[in-house]
Amino acid sequence: MTKKKIYSLDKNYSADIFFKRPDKYKEIEIVSSKFDNIITMGSCNSYTPASFRKNALSIQLTKFNRIIEFDKNQKLITVEAGIILSDLFNFTLARGLWVPQIPGYPTITIGGAVASNSHGKSCGFHGTIKKQIKRIKIFHKLHGWLNLSNEENRDIFDLTIGGLGLTGSIVEVQLRLEELSGNNFVTKIIETDSSNDAVKKINFDVKKETYCYSWNRSDSFKNFGKGFVFQNELNVSSDNKLTKNIKLNNSDINKNFIINFWNKYSVFFAQSIYQNYFKFFKSKQHEESFQKAIFPFIGKEFYFKLFGKKGFLESQIIVPFDKTEVFIDEVETIFKKHEPLITLYSLKNFKGDQKNLRFENDGICFTFDFVKNSKNLFFMNELDKICEKYHLTPSIIKDSRLKLETIEKCYKDFNRFKEEINKFDNKRIYKSTLTDKLMI
Amino acid sequence: MSNLIIGASSGLGREIAYEFARNSKNLILISRNLKDLEILKSDLEIKFKIEVNVFQLDFSNLNEVSKFILDNTKVLEKIEGVLFPIGMMKENDNVKNSNDDLISIFSANFYSINFFISHILNIFEEKKGGFIVGFGSISGAIGREINVSYSSAKRALENYFESLIISNLKNHIKVQFYILGYLDTNLSFGKKLLLPKGSPVNLAKIVYKNLNKKGVKKFFPFWWIFIDMAIKILPFSITKKIIKFFN
Ligand SMILES: Cc1cc2nc3c(=O)[nH]c(=O)nc-3n(C[C@H](O)[C@H](O)[C@H](O)COP(=O)(O)OP(=O)(O)OC[C@H]3O[C@@H](n4cnc5c(N)ncnc54)[C@H](O)[C@@H]3O)c2cc1C
Repeated sequence: MTKKKIYSLDKNYSADIFFKRPDKYKEIEIVSSKFDNIITMGSCNSYTPASFRKNALSIQLTKFNRIIEFDKNQKLITVEAGIILSDLFNFTLARGLWVPQIPGYPTITIGGAVASNSHGKSCGFHGTIKKQIKRIKIFHKLHGWLNLSNEENRDIFDLTIGGLGLTGSIVEVQLRLEELSGNNFVTKIIETDSSNDAVKKINFDVKKETYCYSWNRSDSFKNFGKGFVFQNELNVSSDNKLTKNIKLNNSDINKNFIINFWNKYSVFFAQSIYQNYFKFFKSKQHEESFQKAIFPFIGKEFYFKLFGKKGFLESQIIVPFDKTEVFIDEVETIFKKHEPLITLYSLKNFKGDQKNLRFENDGICFTFDFVKNSKNLFFMNELDKICEKYHLTPSIIKDSRLKLETIEKCYKDFNRFKEEINKFDNKRIYKSTLTDKLMI
Repeated sequence: MSNLIIGASSGLGREIAYEFARNSKNLILISRNLKDLEILKSDLEIKFKIEVNVFQLDFSNLNEVSKFILDNTKVLEKIEGVLFPIGMMKENDNVKNSNDDLISIFSANFYSINFFISHILNIFEEKKGGFIVGFGSISGAIGREINVSYSSAKRALENYFESLIISNLKNHIKVQFYILGYLDTNLSFGKKLLLPKGSPVNLAKIVYKNLNKKGVKKFFPFWWIFIDMAIKILPFSITKKIIKFFN
């Protein structure tokens, strides 16, 4: 069995693990039978250590990447869970169909997206991927092969979506596809002068199918929240089939430079250039390719690399609409006091019901990326307190630093989820470093 | 007309299946794992709109192979060519193997292939055409401590394919043989190797491109030819000393 040292994308966790990438169904059963601690791995693109654990077996399912069934009339597709988003979309988009709730990087697998209950740029309109999942097939070392759906093993189906791989290996997923009404986007750029202004402009019409997010400055208190809202709408005048394949960049997102390039000056410099480019050089309404709008990180992997060996931290928090003003107020207060080094600040709309460990709720999703230093860690702890105080929803899959205490306070179902997992997997075979932290 | 791939469910066989499918070739896929074959069939048919038939067959069992040939004469008469991206290794394959292990290793890596080709040759001779592609291993270049029977069988296979090339120089049957170094498949996954691994996707492309060539014998990745030459030029008494030094 291969041993390997592996890192989370944010570089805050690493572990020596046993690693296997089976390519036959029988092999999944055989390798699972040999270990008492297992976790399934997709592309290991998670910021957090969600798909590995010290001395446990990570079964990587990327060789299970085929299409099993496709019904164009019923708009249903069954795929193996290791298929990466670009491969799936290169097939479906050519037929005018897709899944809108997909995360913003093309090498992420469908299994990873299901296990983290992913959302896309239009989560205010489409919600999370849960809505598209009709059926799942898992392999569990104790229970064998199980079909999960609303009709069969409903409870386990519910635990598996957003269940961080704790119910076993997801091997097949049947997805409902949505029609695409164009093959590119018309992007409107709207200037914002504060965080509250960005919230207002992002939340302009949730009934419309827009792919909306903001980019806000975070380099100083004076500039905090200034920036743009990007409203991407499908260009209905274009053909509804994508003719160009999504191309992967050869750059490995998990590799980084040795030193950190982000500091007060480089953040100020980068954000000023970015803002002025969009203000003065980019037309306020322009066409954008599907790839650029949906997978904005393709070609920008260097952003992660610039954090160097020490890595970074991300905090993503859903704030209900009626609490956004007070949240922004509190954040601005602690920002002024602690002057954290935030490299990225962005907002998007969100829709959903919070259940189990799923990252969803109705509200605005705030994202902050931090350089890893003690000042920022202190600031993030203050953010946790705000989350606990207002019962906000912080993302577990994005923030590797998030404490159990905060999760318990913010996820009302946390203890019930833990109990149900313990009941289903009474030997607690499927575990990761992340779920160890959550004591599940 | 279809193309027969033996050992198609994983590794190089799977990549060859995709390369042929990309070129709109109908396929017959054979392997021990029916579930994997069925999934591969769905994927190929959905993506490439070709016709794929699958059969479960264990090449390490010569009787099973013989029965398959008898039961499927009609199917075999319609094939354009046959490829054998197949190889079977066993743990603890050393100089002291059990009878069962010897039989299964030699059957999967040599006997069954030889037997199958003997039958197919009759069909191709009658049709006055067809191609046969085999895959050896650099491990067959010299004796060794591990995978002893596997490498012996691969050396025998190389010899057999050379004979096959020579015997078919004057007809329309095209024979290719590839001697493989490290390939980036599950067998080598995660292993620290002295030389870089070759891509099975690239090899599948080369195999397809060479289908019309007569009597191909190549190394893949190509640099293994130099290692093979060195092994063959050096007297065994020196090679033996080098091996002892590294051990
Ligand atoms: C650049 C970038 C942008 C992103 N944007 C978004 C976004 O817009 N929206 C969003 O929701 N997320 C986003 N993410 C987060 C990402 O969607 C999740 O971290 C996702 O889980 C990663 O999938 P993966 O295939 O890399 O799986 P891994 O990171 O390997 O695993 C993630 C989790 O899924 C489980 N898992 C993976 N495969 C299986 C399987 N087959 N069976 C059972 N469990 C499995 C693992 O056990 C683990 O708990 C982004 C990540 C990156 C790097």
